[in-house]
Amino acid sequence: MIQIFDPNVDYNKDYGTPASVSENLITLEIDGKSITVPEGTSVLRAAAEADINIPKLCATDNLEAFGSCRICAVEIEGRRGTPASCTTPAEAGMKVTTQNKRLGKLRRNIMELYISDHPLDCLTCPANGNCELQDVAGEVGLREVRYGFSGENHLDAEKDNSNPYFSFDPSKCIVCSRCVRACGEVQGTFALTIDGRGFDSKVSPGQNEAFLDSECVSCGACVQACPTSTLMEKSVIEVGQPEHSVVTTCAYCGVGCQFKAEMKGAEIIRMVPYKGGQANHGHSCVKGRFAFGYATHEDRITKPMIRDSIDEPWQEVSWDEALNFAATKLRGIQEKYGRESIGGITSSRCTNEETYLVQKLIRAAFGNNNTDTCARVCHSPTGYGLKATLGESAGTQTFDSVMYADTIMVIGANPTDAHPVFGSLLKKRLRQGAKLIVADPRRIDLVKTPHVETHHHLTLRPGSNVAFVNAMAHVIMSEGLEDRDFIAKRCQTEAFNAWRHFITEERHSPENTEAITGIPAAELRSAARIYANAKNAAIYYGLGVTEHSQGSSMVMGIANLALATGNIGREGVGVNPLRGQNNVQGSCDMGSFPHELPGYQHVSDDAVRARFEAVWGVELDNEPGLRIPNMFDAAMDGTYKGMYCQGEDIAQSDPNTNHVHAAMRALECLVVQDIFLNETAKFAHVFLPGSSFLEKDGTFTNAERRINRVRKVMPPLAGKQDWEVTQALSNALGYPMNYSHPSEIMDEIALLTPTFSNVSYERLEEMGSLQWPCNDNTPDGTPIMHLDSFPIGKGHFAITEYVATEERSTRKYPLLLTTGRTLSQYNVGAQTRRTENQVWHDDDVLELHPQDAEDRGIKDNDWVGITSRSGETVMLAKVSDRMQPGVVYTTFHHPHSGANVVTTDNSDWATNCPEYKVTAIQVIKVNEPSEWQQRYHEFHQEQIGHLHSARGEKRSGSVAGE
Amino acid sequence: MGNHQLTSLIRMANQIAANNTHIGDDIAEAEMVADHMTKFWARSMKAQIREYLEQDGSELTPIAKQAVSLLKH
Repeated sequence: MIQIFDPNVDYNKDYGTPASVSENLITLEIDGKSITVPEGTSVLRAAAEADINIPKLCATDNLEAFGSCRICAVEIEGRRGTPASCTTPAEAGMKVTTQNKRLGKLRRNIMELYISDHPLDCLTCPANGNCELQDVAGEVGLREVRYGFSGENHLDAEKDNSNPYFSFDPSKCIVCSRCVRACGEVQGTFALTIDGRGFDSKVSPGQNEAFLDSECVSCGACVQACPTSTLMEKSVIEVGQPEHSVVTTCAYCGVGCQFKAEMKGAEIIRMVPYKGGQANHGHSCVKGRFAFGYATHEDRITKPMIRDSIDEPWQEVSWDEALNFAATKLRGIQEKYGRESIGGITSSRCTNEETYLVQKLIRAAFGNNNTDTCARVCHSPTGYGLKATLGESAGTQTFDSVMYADTIMVIGANPTDAHPVFGSLLKKRLRQGAKLIVADPRRIDLVKTPHVETHHHLTLRPGSNVAFVNAMAHVIMSEGLEDRDFIAKRCQTEAFNAWRHFITEERHSPENTEAITGIPAAELRSAARIYANAKNAAIYYGLGVTEHSQGSSMVMGIANLALATGNIGREGVGVNPLRGQNNVQGSCDMGSFPHELPGYQHVSDDAVRARFEAVWGVELDNEPGLRIPNMFDAAMDGTYKGMYCQGEDIAQSDPNTNHVHAAMRALECLVVQDIFLNETAKFAHVFLPGSSFLEKDGTFTNAERRINRVRKVMPPLAGKQDWEVTQALSNALGYPMNYSHPSEIMDEIALLTPTFSNVSYERLEEMGSLQWPCNDNTPDGTPIMHLDSFPIGKGHFAITEYVATEERSTRKYPLLLTTGRTLSQYNVGAQTRRTENQVWHDDDVLELHPQDAEDRGIKDNDWVGITSRSGETVMLAKVSDRMQPGVVYTTFHHPHSGANVVTTDNSDWATNCPEYKVTAIQVIKVNEPSEWQQRYHEFHQEQIGHLHSARGEKRSGSVAGE
Repeated sequence: MGNHQLTSLIRMANQIAANNTHIGDDIAEAEMVADHMTKFWARSMKAQIREYLEQDGSELTPIAKQAVSLLKH
C-alpha cells in the first residue's frame, strides 16, 4: 500500500494501522460521532483519525494489523463479542463503541496479565517517558495485579548487547511481534522470529543467535516498532529520553530519507525515521539511523588552518586570516598563470544552496567555468544519456512508483546495500509477486532473499553492458514485442527508423553476443520477453551502468528499451538511476558541471548567460571549463595551479591514485573545505572547516528529483555553515555575496532555473517536499516525468554501437576487478569509519571465486597483492561464490586499502566518468603491504604530525585514516 | 610543461570518434565528434588538440582528425 503525503495527516501520531488509498469513502459512527474514511480503513484508524484514541499495543501504523494483544477491542452494534478494532475494517453504517465498563474491564484484565510478567522498574527504565506499555496501563486504569509477581516469569532473561547501537532486553518483552513484523514487512530481512509456543514464546534473532551474529542488518525498524524498552537505543539508555526534535534529511545515499533528529539541547540522542518523509515513509538503514556519531567525532577540525607547503606543519589561524590567505594565493596564481589556471569542485554532500554558491564563486569570482563535482565519477553518463534520449538529466519516477511495477529490471545496482530503504520497498513489491531480472556480474543479495525469486540473474561480463542492452532491444524488435502506438505517438520517427535498422541487424542477437556478454542466449531472450510483455516494467540502475568506457551509451541503451516498450510516462515504469550521494542529483542540477549553468543550461547559450550575468553582475565565460580528470592532467602539465575543493575526497575516491596524488602535489594552492582532514586535505595549503548536515539549513535533492529540507539541529562546530564559508571566500576574492539565509539563495536559484521557478522554502514547508520540474506548469512539482511529452518534444532513440573497452584481461592481468559498496560503510568512509559501523566492515577485502582462489593457492584472510597496469595494492582475500570465475570485487571505503591505486584512468567516451567497474588485474599471495601502502603510511603519519603541531599536541587522537 | 593532457585528449578524441561510427558518412560523423568537443571541451583542450593536429596529428584516427579540423578557432 502506498502512503501518499497528506498535509492533513499528523505524522507524529500513530494511527494504529496503515492508511487505505481507496477512493471509495464510507461513513460510520464511532462513539456517536460520524466519521468518513476510505474503504478498507480499520476501525482503529478511523477512530484515530477522528481523535478517538483506542488503547493499543500490537498495532502501529507502519505495519499491517495483527490482532494479537486484544487491547484495542471494541463493541459494534449488532455484532457479538468484542472484536479487535485493528483487524476489523470500517463498514458503512457501522456503530462502534470504544469505551464502556465492559471494555474497560476487559482491557484491565489483559494489562494485568502483561504486567504480571514485566519488571516494575518504570522509574529507572530507559523507556520511561516514552513507553507505550506504561501509557496503556495508565489509559486502562490498571491499579492492581491480582496474580502477584512470584509466578513463573521471564524477568531473568539475559540481555543481548551485541549490536553496537541498541540493546535487546527480553525481560521487558510483551511478545507483541511488532519487531518481528517490522523486520519482515518493512525491512524485508526476516531476521527475527517468535521462537517457542505459549509461555515459552520469545523473540529470536536468526536461530537463537545474538543480534550481531544473525542476518540482522541493523536498520533499526524493530527498535522503532518496540512499544517497551525491550529494543532500545544505547544512546537513550545512557543519557535518557530526548526533549525536542527537528525534522531533517539524511546526508548518506541518494534515497533522501527524512528523520526526526531527537535532541537534548544541542546534543543529538537518536535519529528516528520520519513517517512524513516522502521518500522513506518512516523507514531507515543502519547508516542514516545510527551512524551519525561522526558529526561530533574528535577528529572534526574546527579551526581554519594554513601553510605554505604541504611539507610544513599546519598553523591554526582566524577565519579572516585563512580566507585572505586563500584569496591572495588564488589571485596570485591567476595573475601569474592566467584566469583559467584555477578552478573548484562542488560537493555532492553539501546542500543545493552551498553547491550553487561554489559554482557561482568559480564562474563569477574566478571568472572561468572550471567547476566540476563528484557526479563526474558516478552519474555523469546519466545526465548525458537521459538528456540525449528523454530530454532531461534525471530519473523519471518516484520511489513509490515501484509498487505499481510488474517487472523490475535491476542493472548494475545493489539497492539492498547502497540504497537500502528503496531496497526494502523494492523487496516488498517483489513479495507481492512482481518479477525480477538482475543484470550483474555478482550475485547481489537481491538475487537470493527471503520470499523473493529472481526470474533471471544475467551474470554478464564486466565491460559488456552495451552488447547486453543491444541484445535485449534486438529481441524486442525482432520478435515484434515493441509498443508501436507509443513509438508512433511519442518518439521521433526518423531516429526510430535509423535505430530499428541498426538494432535488428543480426550481429546484435543474443546468440551472436553471447560470446561477449557471457549470458546464455535463451536466458537473455526470456528476460527480454518478460520485460517487454509486462504491463508495467521499470528499470533501476546504478554505477554498474555508468562507470564504464561506454557508460553514456549504456544509459541511452536503457532509455531505448523503455521507449521501445512504452514504459515511460506513468506509474510503475520508467528509467530510474539510483543516485549515490545524498545530493548528487542536486549538485548536477545546481550547475556544477563545467559546460552547464544551473538547470542544465549550456554556457554557450547567449540568452541564458545574459540572464545570469544580469543577476550576478559579471560577464561569464561562454566556453566550457575543465572536468576533474582534465584538471588533474592540466595540473601535471603545469597549467592548472589552484583549486577550491568543497566536501569531496578526490584523493581517495578518484581512479589511478598515483596520478591523482601527483596532480595534487603539483598544485600551488589547494583550498579544502571539509569536516575532517581527509585524504585530499593532506595535500592542501588552506583548510576551511566545514559543517555536517546537522549544523546547517538548506535542501538536498534525492534520486527522484525530490527537494527535501535540511534543518539545522545544532550550531556549526567551527562557527560557520558551509555556505557562509563560501560567501566569505567570495568576499575575500572581491566578488561580493551577501545572503543572510539559504532561503535567499534558493530564491535566486528559482529566479534563474526554469525547472525550479516555483520552489521556495515557504512552498517546501507547505508541501513537505517538491519534485522538480516545479514551475508555473507544475506548481506542485512533478512526481512522474514525461506523462504526455518529453522536454525535447518526442523521445529520441540513440544508436548505441558496442565498442569493447581497451581494458581487457590478458595473460599478465587475467582477472577483471569491479568495485562497489557495502551496506555499513559509505563511499570513502570519512563518516562511517568514524562510527560503530566499523563493527561490520573494518577493512576492504578482495572477493574472489573459489576457483580463482584455488588456482592461486589463496584462502580466506590471506594477504593478496593486486596488480594492474596502474599500480599495486594489498588486501585480505575473501573467497566467495557470489563472484563468477574471472571476476573479483572490492570496496574503496578505507584509504589504506588503496583500491583506487589499481583502477585506471580509462573513462566514458562522452563524460570521462571513470571505468571503475573494469580493471584487468592479477592476484597473488603476498606477505607484506605494497610499496604504495608503505609510502601512504609514512605520508599519513607525517601529515597527522603536521596537524598535531598546529594544535600544539603530541601525537594523539585517532584521525581515522589508518 | 608535460604532455599529460595531450595524451588524454588524443585518447578522448579517438574514443569519441569510435563511439560515433554508426552514421556511415565520414563527414557527418566528424561533425558529430566536433560538435561533442565544442559542447564539452574546455577552450584550452580544444586549442591544444588543434595545435597537435597542425603539428603532427598522427595518433588521431581519421574521423577524429577530421573532427579536430572542424573545430572553430
